[in-house]
Amino acid sequence: MGLLDKLFGKKEAEEMEIGAPLEGEVVPISQVNDPTFSDEILGKGIAIRPTGNKVYAPCDGTIGMMFDTGHAVSMTSADGAEILIHVGLETVGLKGKHYTIHAANGDEVKKGQLLIEFDREAIAAEGYDTITPVVICNSADYSEVKTFTGKTVNAGEKIIALVK
Amino acid sequence: MKQFQYVITDELGLHARPAGQLVKVAAGFAGCYIKVGTEAKMVDAKRIMGVMQLGAKKGTALTITCEGADEEAAAEKLEAFLKENL
Repeated sequence: MGLLDKLFGKKEAEEMEIGAPLEGEVVPISQVNDPTFSDEILGKGIAIRPTGNKVYAPCDGTIGMMFDTGHAVSMTSADGAEILIHVGLETVGLKGKHYTIHAANGDEVKKGQLLIEFDREAIAAEGYDTITPVVICNSADYSEVKTFTGKTVNAGEKIIALVK
Repeated sequence: MKQFQYVITDELGLHARPAGQLVKVAAGFAGCYIKVGTEAKMVDAKRIMGVMQLGAKKGTALTITCEGADEEAAAEKLEAFLKENL
């Protein structure tokens, strides 16, 4: 058992990193003007005010649900984190307009792989808030969801660390 | 076990927000095992990812099953939620 304890002990101490799926300013989820996110109903996380127009995989994993509207995508990381990226608020209402999908349900993806392209200016021009929540749907499976806010990031930079 | 069906009438279907809200309602019944889904696939109604992955749209017939403590109250509350929101 000693060896097992050691192995599990080591595993527990490890953090799993989630990278930014897009470039922009990282803000606390509480600043999102939508209670579904700010009240953490979909999980703990952060939000990014995007400055680009591409969404990349935040880690290695499998696409769970690519909404056919392209406004949101969920994936499960190789180590079990369930991540939802929601590009803009209420953007389900655009019904796919201004979004282009680059991955499908069940796809195995690598960190940094292009998932969605979106026309940020056009979406904003139609009156939608383009802030993009990135949340861990299975937050309850982790003892701690660390967030790294108050900075501007490029895609791939650490925004969340999960502690088992 | 309590079971019922609901056909989605909301034009936007079971997207992220209603999925999260449905899970929140289901999670309120800790002692009850609740599943939601279609003929093709049933999932744990307390896990957001699974519920979202149903990809349920307008016209989709959802089946909900509640088994365990408070199963009648759970079914009642979920049916009310679906009627109001989807």
